Amino acid sequence: MDSRDELAARLDACQKCNMCTAQCPVAKVNPRFIGPKGLGPDMERFRKGQINLDETTLDDCSNCKTCELTCPSGVKITEMILGARRAASKARHKNTMGLRLGLRGYILGRNEYLGKLGVIWPTLTNQVLKIKLVRLALDKTLSISKNGPLPAYGKPLKIQPDKVGIGTNTNKQVVYFPGCYTRFNEGDTGRILIRLLEHLGYKTIVPDFHCCGLPLEANGQFGKADKNGRYNLELMRPYLEAGIPVITSCTSCGLTLKEDYPKLETRSAQLIGAQAYDLFEFLWQLHEKGELPLDFQEVRASYGYHPPCHLKAQGIGTPALRILGLIPGVKIRNIDAGCCGLSGSYGFKAEKYEKAMKIGSGLFEAINVGSQHGDFQSMTTECGVCKVQIVHGTGIPTEHPVHILAKAYRLID
Amino acid sequence: MREISTQVVVIGGGATGVGILRDLSMRGIPALLLEQGDLAHGTSSRFHGLLHSGGRYAVKDDKAAQECIEENTILKTIAAHCIEDTYGWFVFLKGDDPNYLELWLQGCDQVGIPVREVPLEEGFRLEPLLTRQATRIFEVPDATVDGFKLLWSNVKSAEKYGGTYQTYCKVQSLWLENGRVIGVYAEELITGETLRVRSEIVVNAAGPWSAEIAAMAGFNVDVLKDKGSLLVFNQRLFNRVINRLRVPGDGDIFVPHQTVTVFGTTSHTVELPDDHQVDEQDITYLIELGQNLLEGIEQQRIVRSFAGIRPLYESVEDQDQEGRGVSRNFVIIDHQKMDGVQGLVSILGGKLTTYRLMAEKVSDWVAAKLGVDTACRTAEEPLLNEQPAEVWDKARQLIGVAAANKMMERLNEQAGAVVEAIARQPLLGQFVCECEMVTQAEVIHALQDPAVNSLDDLRRQTRLGMGTCQGAYCSYRATPMIQEAFGGWERTVKEYRLLLAERWRGITPVLWGEQLRESELARALFLNVLDLKAEESEG
Repeated sequence: MDSRDELAARLDACQKCNMCTAQCPVAKVNPRFIGPKGLGPDMERFRKGQINLDETTLDDCSNCKTCELTCPSGVKITEMILGARRAASKARHKNTMGLRLGLRGYILGRNEYLGKLGVIWPTLTNQVLKIKLVRLALDKTLSISKNGPLPAYGKPLKIQPDKVGIGTNTNKQVVYFPGCYTRFNEGDTGRILIRLLEHLGYKTIVPDFHCCGLPLEANGQFGKADKNGRYNLELMRPYLEAGIPVITSCTSCGLTLKEDYPKLETRSAQLIGAQAYDLFEFLWQLHEKGELPLDFQEVRASYGYHPPCHLKAQGIGTPALRILGLIPGVKIRNIDAGCCGLSGSYGFKAEKYEKAMKIGSGLFEAINVGSQHGDFQSMTTECGVCKVQIVHGTGIPTEHPVHILAKAYRLID
Repeated sequence: MREISTQVVVIGGGATGVGILRDLSMRGIPALLLEQGDLAHGTSSRFHGLLHSGGRYAVKDDKAAQECIEENTILKTIAAHCIEDTYGWFVFLKGDDPNYLELWLQGCDQVGIPVREVPLEEGFRLEPLLTRQATRIFEVPDATVDGFKLLWSNVKSAEKYGGTYQTYCKVQSLWLENGRVIGVYAEELITGETLRVRSEIVVNAAGPWSAEIAAMAGFNVDVLKDKGSLLVFNQRLFNRVINRLRVPGDGDIFVPHQTVTVFGTTSHTVELPDDHQVDEQDITYLIELGQNLLEGIEQQRIVRSFAGIRPLYESVEDQDQEGRGVSRNFVIIDHQKMDGVQGLVSILGGKLTTYRLMAEKVSDWVAAKLGVDTACRTAEEPLLNEQPAEVWDKARQLIGVAAANKMMERLNEQAGAVVEAIARQPLLGQFVCECEMVTQAEVIHALQDPAVNSLDDLRRQTRLGMGTCQGAYCSYRATPMIQEAFGGWERTVKEYRLLLAERWRGITPVLWGEQLRESELARALFLNVLDLKAEESEG
């Protein structure tokens, strides 16, 4: 079956049960949104013949992929919607609004370059982005919400090219795909991850990857997304061929590597699907093989855990919860109260900000209630932008679970 | 008994009948159309949805081919909103008869059907599912046509010119006096009342029922009732009409109809004009034939099957022929000449593609009889009036481009009111029918139409229940509205049962795979959520 047949078969599989729409975080807060079934399989029937290129409602989808996870018939709903956006992106920019949104898509999709600029003088960038007038200007010119929680920049993560070559000891090496957020906004997480893997006896290689492409895709920059994918795959190629795993700490990058890269037609695309791991998925495998040292120190702390949508979409469960559960003293509660609403860059958009906050409101409430009851003091989640949104919505400190594990190994305080 | 009088009574609310009603009305001739069911419930809604280019008849039936290409061109102009100009391909397969190919090319050339050969590579790129057994592909101006929309547009246009129609009004007998038909007796099926209509001329345009009508005056017309069965696939498999380039036969046309694909047909002579039951052997037979043009067709999901009756006219020369051999031409029978009775004319044979021409010829005959010399204008005057740009813009803004286009085409002049209703109350813009994108406001609007007497009428007007879910979700979603319009739960349940019985009749013969899965879900919905009883839902 080629991909066209496969998509056609999946359209046939849709039972129109609307479970996807019932679970869709956007549909929950916006009764006028026709939902994933409508935007995906229903409209796909029309798009197959009578294509409607300028369908602006396509942008209402936040690309969280909850629909695909929910569908009992395996219909690739988000994929259909993205395909339609891909077609629509070729027919945009007909008026000034279209041009403005196109430019915004261009910018929001290029978080990598923004990151590279931002980290030149992080404190200055952060201060500038805090100026109300600047945010107002961004809102008015680019429709980037003046209220959205744009993440701050920090000391960037250095790349670690492979100077000595792969050599023979391939089973003690990993390639780390840090993703833009870790690289430019939260370099600490990346540095801790590398120390942790080192502690476990692994050499970590960090090639100079470009952005994984997901933000580009979500902002309609499909050509550039594919280009980035092929570039990154080429950097990974020697390691993939040597059987070395690729580790991600960002769940959205992870999903892209696992789901989108295999569709790019290169040789390494055939390998990446089976060799990409979420950090905690990788660690749990080590644990199952008895290779994860359990000499943890007690960590007396309590956390609420938020499972990111793109982790769920990977279909690997919640390995971070399982690993953290091994640490003595750690009290952790799975909040699992739905999407945070930010969904990559969705919540940064002026017309989406209110919706995004509404989508996240269920989660915020669960976190506030939990922390007020004293169930936990802080939050943990793998996804960088979920973290930013949780802090924005609740004010509760939030960190990547690798920090907690590093504390247990006495790598950080 | 109610009595009315008019100049012309048209029997039959199919394409031909409504075409005649419009034509006469445009010539200023008062006419009343009587239909035993809803408009288009017979042959006019039970066909491929193909607007012929004439290519199919180019070898054997050059007159039919010529009429088709001429009407094809006219309808694409006057009824553009009912037509998707997909174009059609005639595909010549490895091993097919090369002599036929030559004859076909000559035939097309002679009657003026434009033919373009499509390079194979382009063909496989544009239609990836097309069999690789294809060796040559020819493009002709075939298109697809929405029969319901076409009929409704004709009726709405006729009404503007003073034409009237009555549905659910079954003609019981012809009113004969002194060797002259002076009207009809009919029963209004909803009230049970008898209606007597006095008229100068009665036009018998009853399609498969024509023989029954003629028999009321004791006349015999030879209508061969030829049943054709078709399959509806869950999605568009092709984007063009795909014909097999060979002597026309069974199972050799695929038509991409809106969001689905219609594939057929078969040909069996039957006795009853409403024998719409699809036999299971025909389904297996069709799927087998479909393999020739689309390999792996059995993997594609089928949502339903249906059958229609071709009312073919059997001329004296055709007497020995079975269905496919009979000409697709039409004929007008003046019963004065044939049977010595004045005031009755029958129109027999023909096809949907030529409905307008048939109507024109009959109307010419009627006008001549009545001494009216106004010329026919149906070939020039469009069926649809352009709606103001503000209404379009507002509709698109409120319910999205795709849904707005569909709605505007269905409602035309009445769209303004629906758009206003949604603007006042945006939630009325939510879809009741998601498959066909029909809003709550449109359903409410249709339910207020006096012509909508049942859920089935609603379906034909709005396409609610016509989509790929086959009424499973939309009908229960419409419950509150239906209950209000039909006055209570008991009647609503009755309507559900009728609608579902008809839908299930089409679904049960193709119940396997994904369709079976979905049907089980639908069954559970009606049994559990709506608390219908199993014995009732079996209809």
